Amino acid sequence: MNGPTLLTAIWLIPFFTVLASLPVDRHNHGLIKKISLLGNTINLGLIIWLTVRFIQSATSLGTGTGTTATVLHFAMKMPWFELLNIEYNIGVDAISVLMILLTGTVIFTGILASWQVTDQAKEFFALLNTLVAGVYGVFISFDLFTFFLFYEIAVLPMYLLIGLWGTGRKEYAAMKLTLMLVAGSAFILAGILGLYYESGIASFDLMKLAQVDFAPSFQLWAFPLIFAGFGVLGALFPFHTWSPDGHASAPTAVSMLHAGVLMKLGGYGCLRVAMYLLPQGAEIWMPLFLVLVTINVVYGAFGAIRQTDLKYITAYSSVSHCGLVLFGLTAMTYAGMKGAVLQMLSHGLMTALFFCLIGMIYGRTHTREIEKMGGLMRVMPFLSVAFVLAGLAGLGLPSLSGFVAEATVFIGAFANPAPLNRVCTVLAVLSIVVTAVYVLRTANTVVNGPLREQFKHLTDASPMEKLPVVILLFTIFGMGLLPGWIINLVNGAIDPIFHKVVQQ
Amino acid sequence: MKALLLPDLLLVLSAFATLGLDLFMPRDSKAPFHLAWAGALAVFVVLLFLPYDQHAVFWGGYEASGRGLMYKQLFALSAAFTILLSGSYFQSGNGRQPLAYQGEFCAIILLATFGMFTVVSATDLLTLLLGMELATIPLYALCAFRKGCPLASEASTKYIIMGSLSTAVAVFGYSFLYGCAGSLRFDAVLAYATQHPTSPLLLLGVLLLLAAAGFKLTLFPFHMWAPDVYEGAPAPVTAFLSVSSKATAIAFLAVLVNGPLAPLHQQLQPAFLLLAAITMTVGNLGALKQRNLLRFMAYSSIAQAGYIVLAFAGQGAMAQTTIFYYLLVYAAANYATFFIIAVIGKSRSEEIETLQGLGRQNPGLAAVLMLAMFSLAGIPPLAGFTGKFMLFATAAQAGFYGMVLFAALNSTVSLYYYLLLIKEAYITKPASPMPALAMSPIQRASLIPLTGAMIMLGLLPSVSTAIRNILLG
Repeated sequence: MNGPTLLTAIWLIPFFTVLASLPVDRHNHGLIKKISLLGNTINLGLIIWLTVRFIQSATSLGTGTGTTATVLHFAMKMPWFELLNIEYNIGVDAISVLMILLTGTVIFTGILASWQVTDQAKEFFALLNTLVAGVYGVFISFDLFTFFLFYEIAVLPMYLLIGLWGTGRKEYAAMKLTLMLVAGSAFILAGILGLYYESGIASFDLMKLAQVDFAPSFQLWAFPLIFAGFGVLGALFPFHTWSPDGHASAPTAVSMLHAGVLMKLGGYGCLRVAMYLLPQGAEIWMPLFLVLVTINVVYGAFGAIRQTDLKYITAYSSVSHCGLVLFGLTAMTYAGMKGAVLQMLSHGLMTALFFCLIGMIYGRTHTREIEKMGGLMRVMPFLSVAFVLAGLAGLGLPSLSGFVAEATVFIGAFANPAPLNRVCTVLAVLSIVVTAVYVLRTANTVVNGPLREQFKHLTDASPMEKLPVVILLFTIFGMGLLPGWIINLVNGAIDPIFHKVVQQ
Repeated sequence: MKALLLPDLLLVLSAFATLGLDLFMPRDSKAPFHLAWAGALAVFVVLLFLPYDQHAVFWGGYEASGRGLMYKQLFALSAAFTILLSGSYFQSGNGRQPLAYQGEFCAIILLATFGMFTVVSATDLLTLLLGMELATIPLYALCAFRKGCPLASEASTKYIIMGSLSTAVAVFGYSFLYGCAGSLRFDAVLAYATQHPTSPLLLLGVLLLLAAAGFKLTLFPFHMWAPDVYEGAPAPVTAFLSVSSKATAIAFLAVLVNGPLAPLHQQLQPAFLLLAAITMTVGNLGALKQRNLLRFMAYSSIAQAGYIVLAFAGQGAMAQTTIFYYLLVYAAANYATFFIIAVIGKSRSEEIETLQGLGRQNPGLAAVLMLAMFSLAGIPPLAGFTGKFMLFATAAQAGFYGMVLFAALNSTVSLYYYLLLIKEAYITKPASPMPALAMSPIQRASLIPLTGAMIMLGLLPSVSTAIRNILLG
């Protein structure tokens, strides 16, 4: 299989999985899940193969440090809508490959984690697979139209996924999430059309647009539109309010996918479209976004302290940690951007593990209130240990993925000598302490202490449930202990972007 | 060249054949019905095979061109779907009284469609006026087709009063144009408009014509009649009003703006932008609180009209292509919705609550409803997305980025109420079990191409390219 076909296959396979499950009888949940698992297993295999091939191809092409233009691998262009010069234009650089790898991991574990879904399983897995096809599509698209198209495909299934299979105030949360994200994409749409017509070349090709010097007056209004538009999905303050409600109401696999991957689309779009294409706009507006993002980081951490519901705690910590992604970007330094990409990966894995574990714990205790739990270590040691490890990754313990990413982000942020950046970095670093408080307190309350009477009969994870947890823990440790190859890959991809954004 | 007149003749022939057959058949015969939809489809098929790159004028006033043929295809298909849709309304169901006089109903639809054909064939203002009247007057009768129903009488009366008023306004407008140009012919008007693009008399006349089109297109502030008429008229008539009748008004505007009034584009641009902005907002805000599916569709179609008018702010091939493309997309989604309303309305009623539990009871129908709503809301990968993207691109091309943002945010508001229908169908659990739904083979067979169109129109690039090529001649 040649490169472009491989990329196309990666986003098509989830769609075919949906089609394959259509003729299945609606009550045959087992078969529907198996088809879904099979499709995503094949896909994960292809993705790993893609990664290996990418590393080979990247080494042979020698796109190490020092390159000034993004080199697309496995690229292909095919005209689509002639009327607007829209192309099916795909390719990958290191950031895309890593994000695809993250997506493949999270959806694979997410399918395993939603094995207990029986209510309208057909629709559930169909929507989940549609969503993930959209996510893959975004990461391989280098045409802004298809990019936007896949972006919307990734956002919309969320409405029914939360509204139908969610818990709590699910209808409210689903509607709020969908509308806020779609409003964000309205901003993106206006910005994209601006890019198309103001470039003078009438093209949606990201690589071609990157060579255009946009007029400063255009950059001035287009940058905040696009950055804030993607920022909504990246939970940028004050557009983050969909996130706690949405994540708390969503079913397990959806929270995993949404917090783990979808929110990364926001950061990815900010970097790939807003900053890459509109560097002068970035320079002008960054101080404002820096302040907003700092509020994100600090406010998210404090928000998490106040919560007593496990999912709300994780959701607020996601606001804080996803804030770090944007924080790395707003630093406008090399290390900051690198840290942002690392943090996308790290947070994706970590938060997926967190939501996965919460789903399993909730499935047993039927409560998510930490005050009502305690001593779970005695009845479910595996889940408890994994829970503590996930928490430690969150607060950035060395040897886990969080440390690599957060350290890089903070180093990068401090590297910018502007006084505002320095102050904001100091404030943001302090959030680690707050994170430690809520993580340790939560872990302590849930895992230690006296075991409640009603929980004595609970069982630990089944082998089927252990599998996703082990995979995610493995990747978190892997990234924490052997970050070298990832950092090398990221360097190669960040170089040209950094070159364009900062040195111009 | 004579072949270019064939579809029009075939259409008139089908209309009279339907009427004639109805005379000789027993009251409850289905033969006229089958003849009518087959006739409309035949017209469509004939249109498909005609050459689009040719141009002919008959009797100095009836023109056949690529653009005309293209719009005629839409009108013929829309007539066919309306007639197919009406089939179940002549049978008794739990939810409603059956309609009577099926033969007349079908013939009137075909005759109104001939009026629409005339609008896109006109080469002078008088033919244009005649076409508009022929497309409108039959609808007055159709609105009142539920005899003895006070809501229907109210709807029809309202429609007649508002319709006559708008005709009067239009004729007044024509008189100014005639007064300026000294002739009713398009080329004379064009010549005058080219020389005097800022002539106040001409602009006044054009504004009056715009008001007349605004009535049919339910543009603000001429939209007030729509919700009542849409609710009171039988649902197939509502579908016809929301697609064919609106498409006629769009065609009317397209004929004028790209023909005799092309030099005035710059002066008209602010009017179109303003109308678009207010209309979409009014439609979207109005739809938020609706509980009746037909009223809901009325407000939804007001908002959609606002989006289409946005494309008139642009000029040239892109804008014209977008307008027709969006009409196609809108027609597919609207007819799909009306077929679902027909199925549900037959055994339940036409309130939004009756959708409850559809996702479990009839997953296929619920899925089509979801696709239709997403297409209307402009969600990818459905046709509505590509259509809206092109609309917004047209506005952006003309440099109105603020308007793009405004319209896109408006579209987010519309997503809210489209999602409400999806919520009723999928999420809300019915308080009591809903009666089972029965779908006729005709409904099933109609929904398949409509669903296909909603998906494929958005993915196949050849459609928009073909439209542009036809428009460019």
